[in-house]
Amino acid sequence: MRVFTNNPLVRQKLAGTCEVCYFDVSFLQLLTKVRDEVHKGCRLLTHPLSGSVKPNETPYKSVMLTRAQGAVDLQSLELIEAGIRAAEKFPVRYPQMPDSVRADFQLIDWTLLQSAL
Amino acid sequence: MAQVRIVHYINQFFGQIGGEEKADFRPELREGPVGPGLAFAQALGDEAEIAATVICGDSYFNENIESAKKEIIEMIRGCKPDALLAGPAFNAGRYGVACGAICEAVKKELGIPVLTGMYEENPGADMYKSAVYIVPTKNNAAGMRSAVKTMAPLLLKLARHEKIGASAQEGYMPNGIRVNFFEEERGSKRAVDMLLRKMAGKPFTTEFPMPDFDRVEPAPAVKDLSKARIALVTSGGIVPKGNPDHIESSSASKYGCYDITGVTDLTSETFETAHGGYDPVYANEDADRVLPVDVLREFAAEGKIGGLYEKFYTTVGNGTAVKSAKKFAEEIAADLRHANIDAIVLTST
Amino acid sequence: MKLELGYIDIRDIQFSTESKVENGVLYVNKQEIEAVALGQPHIKSAEAFLARPGESVRITPVKDVIEPRVKVEGPGGVFPGVISKVTTVGSGRTNVLRGAAVVTTGRVVGFQEGIIDMSGPGAEYTPFSKLYNLVLKMEPEDGLPQHEHEYALRMAGLKAAAYLGELARAVQPDETRVFETYSIPEGMKKMPDLPRVAYVMMLQSQGLMHDTYVYGVDAKRTLSTLINPTEVFDGAILSGNCVSACDKNTTYHHLNNPVIMDLFDRHGRDLNFVTVIITNENVYLADKERSSDWAAKLAELLGVDGVIISQEGFGNPDTDLIMNCKKIESKNIPTVIITDEYAGRDGASQSLADASPLATAVVTGGNANEVIVLPPLDTVIGDLAYVERIAGGFNGNIAPDGSITVELQAITGATNEMGFNRLSAR
Repeated sequence: MRVFTNNPLVRQKLAGTCEVCYFDVSFLQLLTKVRDEVHKGCRLLTHPLSGSVKPNETPYKSVMLTRAQGAVDLQSLELIEAGIRAAEKFPVRYPQMPDSVRADFQLIDWTLLQSAL
Repeated sequence: MAQVRIVHYINQFFGQIGGEEKADFRPELREGPVGPGLAFAQALGDEAEIAATVICGDSYFNENIESAKKEIIEMIRGCKPDALLAGPAFNAGRYGVACGAICEAVKKELGIPVLTGMYEENPGADMYKSAVYIVPTKNNAAGMRSAVKTMAPLLLKLARHEKIGASAQEGYMPNGIRVNFFEEERGSKRAVDMLLRKMAGKPFTTEFPMPDFDRVEPAPAVKDLSKARIALVTSGGIVPKGNPDHIESSSASKYGCYDITGVTDLTSETFETAHGGYDPVYANEDADRVLPVDVLREFAAEGKIGGLYEKFYTTVGNGTAVKSAKKFAEEIAADLRHANIDAIVLTST
Repeated sequence: MKLELGYIDIRDIQFSTESKVENGVLYVNKQEIEAVALGQPHIKSAEAFLARPGESVRITPVKDVIEPRVKVEGPGGVFPGVISKVTTVGSGRTNVLRGAAVVTTGRVVGFQEGIIDMSGPGAEYTPFSKLYNLVLKMEPEDGLPQHEHEYALRMAGLKAAAYLGELARAVQPDETRVFETYSIPEGMKKMPDLPRVAYVMMLQSQGLMHDTYVYGVDAKRTLSTLINPTEVFDGAILSGNCVSACDKNTTYHHLNNPVIMDLFDRHGRDLNFVTVIITNENVYLADKERSSDWAAKLAELLGVDGVIISQEGFGNPDTDLIMNCKKIESKNIPTVIITDEYAGRDGASQSLADASPLATAVVTGGNANEVIVLPPLDTVIGDLAYVERIAGGFNGNIAPDGSITVELQAITGATNEMGFNRLSAR
């Protein structure tokens, strides 16, 4: 099991427990990185739009996926493509954000992931 | 409120010029309403006037689309109308296409509201319903009265630049733009009603049609690749340098077929892309990246495949209408079937 | 199972020295109700406000809306497993203060939305503008972690609603309605010719701020199961959801579940309302597969002729909705699904994050991205900072006259996916 994330809190919480691939990138860029992994044959374990916080509100996203397992998993591919399409249609609403709000978004993303751990 | 000025576009038949034998009738401007315009004038009452009518033969329009459009736009411009009404065309295919095309062009060139009406299966409906408001009508002129009833109030609203509600309220064909409105009943009641109809096998209308799923059954696997003659087809716009057939960079209206006898590698000197929807640098540098002629030649030399067909087919997928793409594909498939090809590699971008 | 709901119509709400219901007026002792909220551990301050239909009042950010009810006869009490013991509810008699609600406000996280305007254009979109609301604004102890904060607000709201509900115990209802479901063989005998219908209710269950509780159990830890529709009327299902204001199902929505109400309306006449299947909306994909498999399996086991599926939330739940729909349709059971749309501000984008050609019958609660201008109102209960400063300010959407431009998604209950509203889209 691996976690792709742009959330520093997830990196910190999961340090030493599993493979955490941390990237300092946007929500959409993170989904794109996950898609690249799906292309390589990884399967998604969590939904790329986990949480009902809109993709243009939260800057953070963590996705759990397997290591490459051979053929491309079509369901994972459909989910990640749909996730990217959904994220693309929301223009980012809050480019600037107080640190306290940032911390809350990190926490929510972490608890969403935690619910699947 | 000031009276609204309308220009009405109709064909030779509804303009009482004649039938098919007069279909080459050249555009003509008449003062006031003609034919169906009288019914509209009556429905619009004092609030609007049909200031002029443009009559044009269906064959003339469809055979001279660009020049006819220009001619008609100038006639309409001269009338200084607040809105254009076209048709309704019912199930007359060429008339429907003309109504759609004129409306789209007038909306773009003159910036005034436009409205037409036609039967849902009229080819003009599919082509223009997302570009202009089209009211669905019956498939023949017996539906004139009900068409006028829906179109006249919508035309007034459009001409006055009032807020246009959802398709279900205003009576136009769904155009892909989702518009909110308040229904008579709450959602849960609508769901129960819909379920009762669905369970009883009665017709019902979904409030959100799922996107079109054009699923294609995969072809049976190629049994022996080493004996298969393979063709290349792409929507990535790879063309001989200079784009000899002028395939459009978007909304392509054609495809090309080019000979690659003896070509083992596509180079920046010989091939390029016509596609306007992606960064062309890498395709122009080495067109094999989109149309893998080099690799297939290698495979053929190694005996992995039986051979590469000596022609490839190409078009630009960028914004090209599904309808056009289908037409291209049908022709290309017929050609390739004729050439006894065993398999095709389709590349996109 | 048979439940009588005794509706007491509330036509005004006032603060008073004595809390009571008299002649359709809900009198509330302000100190007492604030004390109820303060009795919840970790609540530092609690202040009660009144908000009536038509007043120039804006409430934000809304945490939950709860209708006051009280169990008058029969086993158990309201909000079982949380406020009352876990005894199975849904039979006997329950009194309802119809037209009244407790609204809790408090910022659990910095980005919380949820606007209820009691007048103006925004009021048209939220059902709660038509209610006589007792608004509780609460602050937690400093440094209280978010999940404990959420719990404290949730519990204080339920306790306040139970306190008000208790006032209805001895009041003569204005209207009494009887809701009865039967065992499967009994129902088939009584209504041999009517199509048998089940309701698949999807419960938000993705994690902190995205939770729903069934008899006190966190729904994400459950398998799809059956619940009698009348149990829901007694508060067996409670909201712990704070995000996606427009399409979250508040506790008020659960208590007045519109699909259940409208199925009961036709029960015995046009259809046989068999039961409710509850299923969750987890983040983990294997959970989604399992839960939707079980929902479909239960529908098949019940042998129903049709199913209505409702949803909660944005994005990820679309996948659960489509899985439920596909799997139930694949068992040759016709479905109608209820959802809402995110079609972009211009309405031109793909509305759902998932789709299937089997979803032939869809009811929509409207496009949540549609933009609305909310004029300034005289009084704000709660805290406008987020809406103004972030949702408005950073986007440059706050006008000099103080009006704010927001998408419908900021308005509590605007595009409800149980079909609570008349709003739709085409």
